[in-house]
This record gives sequence, C-alpha cells and structure tokens, in this order.
Amino acid sequence: MSQPDADNVRDTILESIADGVFTVDDDWRITSFNAAAERITGVAREEAIGQHCCDVFRASICEGQCALRQTRETGRAIVNKAVYIIDAGGQRIPISISAATLKDASGNVIGGVETFRDLSMVEELRKELRAQYTYADIVGRSARMRRLFDLLPQIADSTSTVLIEGASGTGKELFARAIHDLSPRREKPFVAINCGALPDTLLESELFGYKAGAFTDARRDKPGRLALADGGTIFLDEIGDVSAAMQMRLLRVLQERVFEPLGSVTSVEVDVRVIAATNQQLDKLVRKGTFREDLFYRINVVRLELPDLRQRREDIPLLVDRFVSKFNALQGKDIAGVSDEALAILMEHDFPGNVRELENVVEHAFVLCRGGLIGPQHLPPALRPKESATVVAGHGPRTLQALEAIHITDALRRHNGNRAAAARELGINPSTLFRKINSLGIDIPARPQADSETE
Amino acid sequence: MVLLDTAVGTRLADSLVEMRVALPTWNDRISPVLDVATRLLVLDVVDGSEADRREVLLQGADVHGRARQILESQVDVLVCGAASMPLLAMLSEGGIKVISHRCGVVDEIVAALLAGELTEDAFAMPGCCGRRQRRRCGRRGQRGRFMEQE
Repeated sequence: MSQPDADNVRDTILESIADGVFTVDDDWRITSFNAAAERITGVAREEAIGQHCCDVFRASICEGQCALRQTRETGRAIVNKAVYIIDAGGQRIPISISAATLKDASGNVIGGVETFRDLSMVEELRKELRAQYTYADIVGRSARMRRLFDLLPQIADSTSTVLIEGASGTGKELFARAIHDLSPRREKPFVAINCGALPDTLLESELFGYKAGAFTDARRDKPGRLALADGGTIFLDEIGDVSAAMQMRLLRVLQERVFEPLGSVTSVEVDVRVIAATNQQLDKLVRKGTFREDLFYRINVVRLELPDLRQRREDIPLLVDRFVSKFNALQGKDIAGVSDEALAILMEHDFPGNVRELENVVEHAFVLCRGGLIGPQHLPPALRPKESATVVAGHGPRTLQALEAIHITDALRRHNGNRAAAARELGINPSTLFRKINSLGIDIPARPQADSETE
Repeated sequence: MVLLDTAVGTRLADSLVEMRVALPTWNDRISPVLDVATRLLVLDVVDGSEADRREVLLQGADVHGRARQILESQVDVLVCGAASMPLLAMLSEGGIKVISHRCGVVDEIVAALLAGELTEDAFAMPGCCGRRQRRRCGRRGQRGRFMEQE
C-alpha cells in the first residue's frame, strides 16, 4: 500500500477542521486559505489568495495590533486573543485568533500562520446567560429609531435622570444599558431591578439592603442594589407599579442621593444615576392620583418614548435577520432566512408584544423549520392580520389595495382615528382618504377618552 | 478631533469647495476597518482636482463617537474599507455618501474617484462583490447587503 502524500494529508486536515486557517508570505499576502476561513469571513479562497491579509481578514486589530506582526517581532506565538472581524455584510463577528511564524528549513522566517475560531455562538450564549446585551444589539434604521440613536450619546453624557416609556417588549432595558454603556459611568456597575415584580417589603430590602438583626433571619449585613450600583447606574423597571410608600422612599433617594438600609440608624450616601422605565403613561397616573407628582417630575427630566414595533414596521426585516443569526448560533442550525411570503405576513402583523413577540415567533419557526428558508407554514397559526382581514386575506404577494389599506389603518391608529391628521400624514386629501376608507372597508379606530392625549 | 497638518496652502472657504472627500488611511492604504481607523484624510476638490488635503485623528472606538467625528469633518463622500452596519447607517443618515468595502493605495483610489472611475467593482475588497452580484454575497443568508449606502 502506498504512503499518502504529505501535502495531501496536510491539505485534508486543514480543510476538515472547524477553525479558519490562513498563511501569509513575507509581504503579508495570503498564500493559503482553508474552507473554514472562507465560511467565517465570507471571502472565497480564490479571491483571498494573493491579497493583503488585512483586506481579507478585516479584524479590529489589523491596523494597530496585528497578531502576526507582533509574533514576528517578538518571536512569541499569540494564542486565543479575542477580537472581531467585519464580514462582507457589515456584521461584527467575534473571533479568537492565534498566530505563529512560519520558518524554512534553515530557520529563516518566511511568513506566518493565523488560526481563528468563530465565537458567535459563545458570545450569544454569554449574552443569554448574563443578559448583557449592548447598544450594538439595538436594531433599527427607521426614522423613529434613528432619532432615538441620535439622542442617546447626549443623554449618556449628562447625569440627568431618564424616564423610558414604552410598551412591553420594546427594549426599555436595552436602551437603559445603552445609555449606561455610552456614559462616563460605563466602567461602573449597571444594576437593574424590576419594581413591579416584588412586594413592597422585598423591594425595600432589595433596593436599600439591611443590617444584621433588622428582621428575623437577617443574620448579616446585606448591601442593597443602590449600594451595589454606587458610581454606576441603577435601572428601575416598572416604576409605575410601586406603592405610595415606596414612591416616598424613592423620592428621597432621587432628591438627596441618600438612603437608610433597613435596621440602620445612619444614612448612606450614594452616587448613582437613575434610569426609570414604565409601560404606563406616568402623567396619567399622576392625574389619577396613583403616582406622586413630585416623584414624577423628579424622574421625568429626560424622557425617551420607545415606539411600538407596528410604528416601525420597516425594521422588521432587520430584526428578523438579527434573530435568525442569533438562533442559528444558539441552536447550531443553518436557517438561511425568511421567505418573502412569511416576511409579508410578519410585516402585516401588529405585534402587540412588540420585539419580544417577534423574537418568539422566529424561535417558534426555528422549532418547525429544519433548514432553508422559514415559510408561512413555520409561523404560529395565530399570526394573521385581523383588523385588515377583509382586504388582505390570503397568502402570496400583497396587492396594491391591500398595502394601501395597511398604511391607512396604521395612520388612523397613530392619529387615534383623526382622519384629517391621518390624511395629512399620508399626503392625500381628506376627501380622498374618506373615499378610500369606504371602498377598502377600513374600520376607523375609536377616538380616545377625554383624558387621553393626542400626538 | 485634532487637525494634524494643512499640506496645501491656506484652507479653502467652504463655499468654494465642490466636494469634500474623506478616506481613512493606514500606511498609505485605505484602513481595513473604519470602526478602528485612527487617521482620516480629508480632501477638498475644486474644479475636479484636489485643492487641499489635511488629516484628522479619529479617537475612541464607540460607533456613535466615531460617526460624530466624521460628520464633523463635513465631508460629502467617504471612501472606506470594511465598516459595521450601524456606523454605515449613521454616516448615511448624516448625509454622507459612503463608498465602503474598498481597499488599495489611497492616491490611486483618489485618482480614480476624481476621474470618475471608482466604479462599483473598482478597488473592491475581496469577497465584497459589486451591485450586479450583491445578492447573498455574505454569509448566513442575510438579506439586502449593499456596498454603497446613500
């Protein structure tokens, strides 16, 4: 039996491993590029060979801290350095790289070899485990989201208290984290607490902490979340759900940045930035008398209003792509995306649960879809537009009339049924709008109650 | 933002400049990753020719700060290498015509741009196909990838 050729063996091994491997010559030009390198970078081998490695690899360290250059200069191999590359689609892909020099038989350096591993799955798992999503995880290119993005750096630079209003699932905590991550406090802790999820006594001990002996079983001091957030940011979610007594205590913290742990006789000063969030309209609660007016004004210094997903439908394709990538990484699948028919259904759905609901829909589809594209049959059965059912029933490409009905329904909803305002937004004459409402059989949303605000 | 030098004579009044072009540079080549580039070459173009050239230092790694620094340079066109989607979106939203995923020697790219020869495929980074081939050119089946964002 003949011995296998050494080059063949080497090539077979390189092609079969999951790590990307490429080699460069003395002039930093790529001389070999394995299949995993093609997959991770999105660059075909024939395009990569002969090119400068930085133009192919596009890593965050290419310019200033090239691993191969450092290895050549120091003679020491680099192992598992965490960096990111940018693929052809503009996605940041987290990777770990290792680098070593290549020498000829005489010991002269003739180039280098770099191996790298896609850490997307590890990164997703890490985020899932620690719930550490960052600013980069906020997806949106709609006008409303872009306006929010423009505001974030200025808000982050200030020390003012921020109130984030938005329905459930719109990403209030994500924005709070983004403000913290962009602020000078980013190196300090970000501590989140859901005020609505805890009864008063528990919330008090969680927020303020307690001293040993403060109550039965309080055997040792326990610092509260406020103390843990010292120097950083505390995120008070569902602030509209706290009791009147707790509102009073929070007011003191906001006014004086001072609190007393349970059972303590001394006050503790704390340097903390407060970001509060609610899915209710606090000004209405103030009018109803269930939320303190002075606390409202303390909180409502800078207000961010997060749009519902149906108010930024144009972001749905981007969000779907994001979730497909995420679940591909988490579940080790290779779903290519969403079919046009399925996307049309998603675009029409109202998503009362907002982005979280969309994420759940994609996760549901991942359970049923084995590969290729997610189709309408993989979506939850309940996912059908209801309000516009008379005009958009059926699958397949939507008609111009159906799209018109969707836009008109949305505009009417945004303006609480005000037809003149909706016509203005749509850029058509009110009489044209009335005619279309009648001919398309659109139900006009009910006008809000007297205490409601219009935009 | 730090101005490093003003190479050609006195600074031109903004009203005289037909087009202001910026390119992130590294060793006389286009910097491979805009998100971490440290130098931005800013060129003023008058009558189709380069009339002024200066360099701006880019600092910090957060996307917003970087976009703000580039927008403050008041450039009309940015020719760059790879860049993350959020950064590209912010620059496009700020009114900059971004020609991304280009690589090569800066002076050659500037010459091609001024001659109107910076076509979709010219100086394209490996793996970043032009408009004719743009569909599904990346990985993981993501839709709508554009090299140029306007």
